[in-house]
Amino acid sequence: MYNLTGVTKLYQKGRHTVPAVRDVNLVIEDGEWLAVQGRTGHGKSTLLNLLGGLDRPTEGAVELAGQNLATLREAQVTRVRAVSVGFIFQTFNLVATLSAAENVEAALIPLRTGLAGRRRLVAAALESVGLGDRAAHLPSEMSGGQQQRVAIARALVKGPKVLLADEPTGNLDESTRDEIIALLEKLWREHGLTLVLVTHDSAIAGRAQRVAVMSKGRLSIRQDTRG
Amino acid sequence: MFFVTYLARELRRRMRQAVFIALGLALGIGLVVTVIAASAGVKKAQADVLDSLYGVGTDVTVTGKPPAAPSPGRGTPPKGATTFQMSPSGAQVCTNGKCHNAAGQTIDNLGSGSYDPFSYSSVASVAKLRGVATAAGGLSLTDNQITIPKNFGQSGSAAPTPNSFDVDGVDLGHLSLGPLSAGTISSGRSFAAGQAQSNVAVLDSGYAASHKLKVGSTITIVKTVFTVIGIVRQPQGGSPPDVYIPLARAQALASGGSGNLKNQVNTIYVTAASAADIPAVQREIKHVLPQDTVTTAASLASQVTGSLASTAKLANDLGRWLSILVLAAAFALASLLTMAAVARRVREFGTLKALGWRSRRIIAQVMGESVAMGLFGGAAGVGLGFAGAAIISAIAPKLFASVATPTGQHIQAVGPGGSQSLNPTATHTVAVPMSASVTAGAIILAVVLAIAGGLIAGAVGSWRIARLRPADALARVA
Repeated sequence: MYNLTGVTKLYQKGRHTVPAVRDVNLVIEDGEWLAVQGRTGHGKSTLLNLLGGLDRPTEGAVELAGQNLATLREAQVTRVRAVSVGFIFQTFNLVATLSAAENVEAALIPLRTGLAGRRRLVAAALESVGLGDRAAHLPSEMSGGQQQRVAIARALVKGPKVLLADEPTGNLDESTRDEIIALLEKLWREHGLTLVLVTHDSAIAGRAQRVAVMSKGRLSIRQDTRG
Repeated sequence: MFFVTYLARELRRRMRQAVFIALGLALGIGLVVTVIAASAGVKKAQADVLDSLYGVGTDVTVTGKPPAAPSPGRGTPPKGATTFQMSPSGAQVCTNGKCHNAAGQTIDNLGSGSYDPFSYSSVASVAKLRGVATAAGGLSLTDNQITIPKNFGQSGSAAPTPNSFDVDGVDLGHLSLGPLSAGTISSGRSFAAGQAQSNVAVLDSGYAASHKLKVGSTITIVKTVFTVIGIVRQPQGGSPPDVYIPLARAQALASGGSGNLKNQVNTIYVTAASAADIPAVQREIKHVLPQDTVTTAASLASQVTGSLASTAKLANDLGRWLSILVLAAAFALASLLTMAAVARRVREFGTLKALGWRSRRIIAQVMGESVAMGLFGGAAGVGLGFAGAAIISAIAPKLFASVATPTGQHIQAVGPGGSQSLNPTATHTVAVPMSASVTAGAIILAVVLAIAGGLIAGAVGSWRIARLRPADALARVA
């Protein structure tokens, strides 16, 4: 699915240059679950942004299904994200003024799906995360765990090939955290997704097939349980 | 549908800010609508004044050149003029060099003081011009009656006070042109074609009321008795002549530089074949009658003074610039507030970009919110405009329009009491009610301004969305 070659990302902070990601080479197979661990500020989220086309590398290539995201025009990258990539954020990032169903529907708008089709897909997505009865609720009327479920439904409603999760349980309590990870694992298996999950939590990382560690921008593989 | 839902929810979330922006736009647009309404009202008042001066249907007016003003106390009086003289034997009135004792006498003179007369044949010349539908001649005259006190010229005596009224000589063959055409006969009847040589008169209703005259009454013009056959009511705000008599009688009784004004007129009223022909007709008449003054309603408007003219200037100049300033301020405020709202939603827009929304779709969402606020502001602005116009119509004082014209008469006295001279003038001052009405054009302009305001605010506020990098946006703390 992914082939990263010599990927480097530098940020300019005044007169200083900060290397967030340094010379990363990584292949992520179709249907693989890769966890990325590391201390704060060592490049985990930057790597995720590069994988999702939310940012462009300073050097190197980020190939997704054979397309180098680094060289595509912005409109093309946006299209790739609309069709193929689902995001889950630590802070859920739901639109506060839209209901659960409308938040999920927002992911289908760029695909120009018809109204009837959107409603059907949204209902199915909310059912798959156990929130079929919360479709009309606003984010402020839901718990953190429920909001993250809505975010997962939003990420999966369009049937992406890739799911990128940045600390999806970072803002949740322990029991809710386990529910969410269990749900992600279930959906990963059911949909055959390629899942890249950034986490601090070693227990969560340990459930992945492969664990990579980011340290000062450099990536190393710590665990590989793929067959 | 999603677009509208998202838009409505967002406006509801920042209702206070949305109301603030809409109110700002409403104030600006309301002021524009009110100023336009006031301008329309003033223009209508001006048109009413002009119509009353020259009558409805008159497009071009030709008048003789103004008479030269005599120098008080010096020089030879013009031929035919009436002068006073003081001598040890008392006050004297002199006409054409012949003098007699003036004490206790009343001098009555009907003169073409406003304009020099010219030949009646000029009317036919004008009527033949291309673009002219109809032309009619007339005489705009002033009857000056002066009663000289018995002790005039002696020490301590008062100056005689002239009593003037306007007389219009009407071409009975063209009653649809000229000042009489604008009025409605309220009592009696108008002139008949066969009365060209008759001593009959039609009075203005205001003049008749103030002098307690009615149909059947008589009035004296230059010692000739005229019978009142009708009373005419002119449009409100007009400055009509006081008395209308047949043109032939006016020509016979009036005096000018060389005696009476037989076969002479001092005004030609012209109707053009179409509004588009007016400028060309004006030029052609000027070519045929180069000595005379050729005016259209537009050029006459510039001669009108008084509070009507001041209000017109106020509405057009100050009103326009004030509206532009307030509108610009409202647009700027809306833009700044929209920019602030976008800044607060950076994380939200970053998320939408992560979901695959293109920048232009997000920008369209923001523009939609701004245009919606603009339309609310526009609707409120139209309401404010109606209210402003109603207030103006209800409380605005009457406006006054004045056009002063010299009569050309000069009365001079020299004696032990010193030099005294009188140059009677006739000033048409009319009271015009001020009204303001909101036109369809003003409403359409309000809608256009509302949409423009929304688009400008949305464009300014969302310009950074296109440059927004999703990674940076998502890194913002909520």
